[in-house]
Amino acid sequence: MRVLIVEDERKLAQVLSAALESEHYDVVAAATGEDGFYRANAELFDLVVLDLMLPGRGGLEILQTLRERRIETPVLILTARDGVDDRVRGLDLGADDYLVKPFALPELLARIRALLRRGRPSDVLRLKVSDLEVNLVGRRVLRGDRSIDLTTREFELLEYLLRHQGHLVSREMLARDVWREPRRATPLDNVIDVQMARLRRKIDPEGAPRLIHTVRGVGFTMREGEP
Amino acid sequence: MTRWWTTASIRVRLTAWYTAALALMLVVYATVTFVAVRHEFREQLEEDSRAAHAHLTPEELVQRQLSEILVVLVLGLPVIVMLAGAGGYVLARRALAPIEHLAGDARRITADRLHERLTVPNPHDEIGRLAAVINGTFARLESSFEQLRRFTADASHELRTPLSVIRGIGELGVAGTRSPSEYKEAIGSMLEEVDRLTRLVDTLLRLSRGDAGSVRLAPELVDLGGLAGDVVASLGLLAEERRQRLEISAPSAVAVRADRLVLREAITNLVDNAIKYGPAGSTIGIRVEQDARTAAIAVTDQGPGIPSEHRSRIFDRFYRVDEGRSRETGGAGLGLAIAKWAVEVNGGHVTYENGDAGSTFRVSLPRS
Repeated sequence: MRVLIVEDERKLAQVLSAALESEHYDVVAAATGEDGFYRANAELFDLVVLDLMLPGRGGLEILQTLRERRIETPVLILTARDGVDDRVRGLDLGADDYLVKPFALPELLARIRALLRRGRPSDVLRLKVSDLEVNLVGRRVLRGDRSIDLTTREFELLEYLLRHQGHLVSREMLARDVWREPRRATPLDNVIDVQMARLRRKIDPEGAPRLIHTVRGVGFTMREGEP
Repeated sequence: MTRWWTTASIRVRLTAWYTAALALMLVVYATVTFVAVRHEFREQLEEDSRAAHAHLTPEELVQRQLSEILVVLVLGLPVIVMLAGAGGYVLARRALAPIEHLAGDARRITADRLHERLTVPNPHDEIGRLAAVINGTFARLESSFEQLRRFTADASHELRTPLSVIRGIGELGVAGTRSPSEYKEAIGSMLEEVDRLTRLVDTLLRLSRGDAGSVRLAPELVDLGGLAGDVVASLGLLAEERRQRLEISAPSAVAVRADRLVLREAITNLVDNAIKYGPAGSTIGIRVEQDARTAAIAVTDQGPGIPSEHRSRIFDRFYRVDEGRSRETGGAGLGLAIAKWAVEVNGGHVTYENGDAGSTFRVSLPRS
């Protein structure tokens, strides 16, 4: 998978490249709007990560020109402005998703995965990690041969963790995708932590190898063995 | 015991002065005229005897005397007018002197000396009342300057603390060689601070946008009972952890016109506080109330309440009742400030009441 990053902030571009490379993407970085536009125009990419505030040719302009030329590569825009207008303009011009700086890397990675997954069937009805098995149709959860009863919210949380298994899941992602709250707030963070602790008690009983891990300062991850 | 003329308004005093001055001048004028006329009459008597020889008719005599009186009157008038002018000038200066004085005082009070006040010689007259009004304005100005100063100090403290933690951990990490798990721990704790900082900046930006009036609302009809139910559903878990009961009482459908999300944030913060400060196992009441004009949600906990010396400032940004309640447990002290903003932007207000059975925060909004 080839990803083009158009970002003038050198450090941020390095961090993004490193993060994407560690997820085995083939990364090309462009530091100016012109360079980014030229590459996006001339080469084939599976995804473009585009900063909106660029010296020279701005991100929105690049996006607009690309779409006018019928280049339909998915574009994820990064912006420091969180006004609704900027986001709406970006999406209207043909962006596929946006993230407001400062963003969490796990979230960026999750969105990139989602964009690349698009158009492919993802209706897996059975999710599995180690000896934990979740049947989405019957809403049944099995750890080994022990059946586990979950509340609706716990089930949604577990499903989300499983769908992102092996990857980091931040509290922002949970707030938005599982709790469907537009804004992450302190009370909600506490709710997420409590909910996660309860789910963990049910999924990871004493003695069994742990599947849900807390990554300090980032969020959670579901995987076999230590993260 | 004040003398009546010091308590009388300036209007009364000025009237008295002008009346007195006018009376004085009239007396002077009348006296001069009287003296002149008397003199004329005396002369006339003398001339009467001479007239017998001079063959002047009495009519001519009267004519001559009248013209002499006219001369006196005409000559006297400008003198009196000049006197009146001088008197008026003195009176006006006297009357305006306190204003001059006030202006001098006011000029002295600058941004750095806002604690000073105008001197009020007589609080009962017009100037005194004016000075009191100006002093009131200065007091409000002083308190908002003070609030601003405090806010800036608190904000820089709250912003700098995570920064110095991040820096400290980073410098420690770079200084020596540690095990990977220690590095992970260090980076994780830096990230926690970054997270805190991010949210703080986010909240401050929202508040300052609120101050600037650039927040766009999406008002709709909101049923307060439904809203309370919504908040309870989302925070119920936290109350459950502390074995608290969240009790909603909503008599009937009470609707207000508000931005649902913004208003919900206010109620969420209030209920979250009630859960935090209410003792374990207690009950938190969320009552929907209404009267003819307003609708309200009252959140009551059974906690210790807020000491009276703190009550006036609990809605201030960064204000914490318990300074010792650190960032770890208490947050940045912006929850109530956000709640207040969120309610006021929807045209309502939040009040605090300290009852026997704990604290009540009441959000009142105009009924739609």
